[in-house]
Amino acid sequence: MKKFLAIFLAVLMIVGMTACGSSQPEAESPSETPQQEETAPEGDIVIGVLQDITGVTSTLGKMVQEGAQWAADEINAAGGINGRKVKLVTYDTKADVQEAINAYNRMTTTDKVSAIIGPPVANITIAIAPISEQYNVPVLHFAIDDRATIKDDGTPYKNMFLFQPSAKQQGAIMGKFAVEEQGLKKFGIIYNQSNAYSVSLLEPFKNTVESLGAKVVAEVPYQPNDKDFKTMLNKLVSAGAEAIYAPNYTQELILIVQQARAIGFDGRLICGLDACPPFPTLCGPEADGVIYINNITETEPQIQGIIEAYKQKTGNDATNKFFLGYDVMKILAKIIEEVGDDPVAIRDAIENLSGFQGLTGNITIDPNTHQTKGLEMVMHEIQNQAPVMLKRYSAEQ
Amino acid sequence: MSIQIIINGLAVGSVYALIATGFSLIFNILKFSNFSHGALMTLSAFIGYFFAVKTGSSLIPVIIVSMLAGGLVAYIGEFVAFRKITLRSTSPVYYFVSSITLGTLYEGIVTIWVGPNFYNYPRFFQSMVVNIGGFVISKPDLIMFISSCLALALLVIFIQKTRLGRALRSVSFDRDTAGLMGINVFGIIQLAFFISGALAGLSGVFLGINYTLYPQLGNLVVKGFIASVIGGLGSIFGAVVGAILLGLTETLLINFVGSGYAPVFSFLIMLAFLLIRPQGIAGSNVQEKA
Repeated sequence: MKKFLAIFLAVLMIVGMTACGSSQPEAESPSETPQQEETAPEGDIVIGVLQDITGVTSTLGKMVQEGAQWAADEINAAGGINGRKVKLVTYDTKADVQEAINAYNRMTTTDKVSAIIGPPVANITIAIAPISEQYNVPVLHFAIDDRATIKDDGTPYKNMFLFQPSAKQQGAIMGKFAVEEQGLKKFGIIYNQSNAYSVSLLEPFKNTVESLGAKVVAEVPYQPNDKDFKTMLNKLVSAGAEAIYAPNYTQELILIVQQARAIGFDGRLICGLDACPPFPTLCGPEADGVIYINNITETEPQIQGIIEAYKQKTGNDATNKFFLGYDVMKILAKIIEEVGDDPVAIRDAIENLSGFQGLTGNITIDPNTHQTKGLEMVMHEIQNQAPVMLKRYSAEQ
Repeated sequence: MSIQIIINGLAVGSVYALIATGFSLIFNILKFSNFSHGALMTLSAFIGYFFAVKTGSSLIPVIIVSMLAGGLVAYIGEFVAFRKITLRSTSPVYYFVSSITLGTLYEGIVTIWVGPNFYNYPRFFQSMVVNIGGFVISKPDLIMFISSCLALALLVIFIQKTRLGRALRSVSFDRDTAGLMGINVFGIIQLAFFISGALAGLSGVFLGINYTLYPQLGNLVVKGFIASVIGGLGSIFGAVVGAILLGLTETLLINFVGSGYAPVFSFLIMLAFLLIRPQGIAGSNVQEKA
């Protein structure tokens, strides 16, 4: 009897596992339909959305996806593009490179998408970049690491396009702003050694502040599993840093800012995109005095309107990634309206995109780098746990 | 400066001490390393978090809820995962496998419940730092240090001075004989699990306050494990000494060789202890039992 029970349990477990396995590809996104070819009506324009919906960077990926969907809904409500509806096909990368590559291949070969809205995550985009050379589908992404758009020989990948200032530009903007506008002279740097985003923002910042006569007095790398930063921050402070540059992801940033205040550091902290809301409320009063860079400023009336409408509809807050997704969807709509939904024609049109006025700024693509040219970023300071806009800034200024 | 490093080291060490003690308690009784301890910390910390968010209560009730939840889950966990193995007196390997499975289950429950994102406890203190004699000490660290000391002192008094504590020691020493002497062996084992779970709840809340809450928070249990190896598996005194030592060494290493190499040295120290003094700093009677 016991033997039977054991066998029965084992069978049950296997059945359970297979059930789990088969349910995985169906991400929660309702728009994901792998059998796109059979189900999509002839006239729909299909755009692929390759984002992390359930993995560790899902807060970023979901926002891009929601922003693109919001824009697509607006376009469809206004009659579509040349009378055709836009349909988004979302695939979940689960923050996994292999998963992302599989999804990318499926989009380009099976779903025959006209263009792909790529992730704001460097390691995935860098992995897709060389593969994308085999196809002719443009990928509009937000990974600021140069390797996601430019090959080793300095020429751009033909299908990869970056739609926010690159790491070089953002690092330079933060460095210039810190020295010229804030009058800071001595910097300490703390960065995540194994995070491409964090590392890519390091050199441009250092080069910029040093070229402006300021000094980096100490820098400490940390590991992804580190949770106690006090000793590392102590090192920066005792080396005489009057400001700390911390281009890190939100979760680590909360710990770094809280612990910097906990060891008595009351100077400036200069942070990347991840200090934008909801960071100030998550971090608490210690966040006051943090300076950070952002694609948008929440107080602009048009952006505020969308934030409020989105909040009403979903109960969530739209972050900067939402507007990046929103803008590229609008750019795609404009281009498809002019050149049709052939991926190659779209790709060529993106390469020559000039002066598109989006919510994240005036977007022009440089054909030599496939990155934005002279796109402004908005520097903010956190006061009373809320962002206050300081100045619009571009790297070329 | 160097005093500041020592203060940081003590703060880190006191959390490790809580983790290591919970570990040691179970090792003492059932002679195996309970690897579900880490996931239990996470689970009870999340229960505390949602209690704090729902009720908006202050720190003390949150700690009490987390400790109770941790204790209760560990109590049930013992019944589900370990009772049969104890009854049959089969190989300790089964304990090991069972505890890892139980840990995976807890972590899975947390991930399904809260998703992969991180959470931050509501703010319990107005200001985060206190100035004592020119040194800046973070308030959570200080409270964590004090409550760790308090919890550990209470535990030692309980084990050394009460009848139940004596029963616990005798069960740990020889289960069968203790049973023959009229001690309710399973009652004592359940008690040990409850206390261990409550300590997991306490350390979980402090880890959450200091390091944000996320489903893999329990991975820090490795540090508690290293600490209890250094201190001597099964010895509560040893676990505390080992943990403080580990916390101090880590902070000093981070300061002098950087965070990349610090874990390497921590493991080297553990290996050195295993080679030279496998019974740890305090362990003596455990070695012959294990």
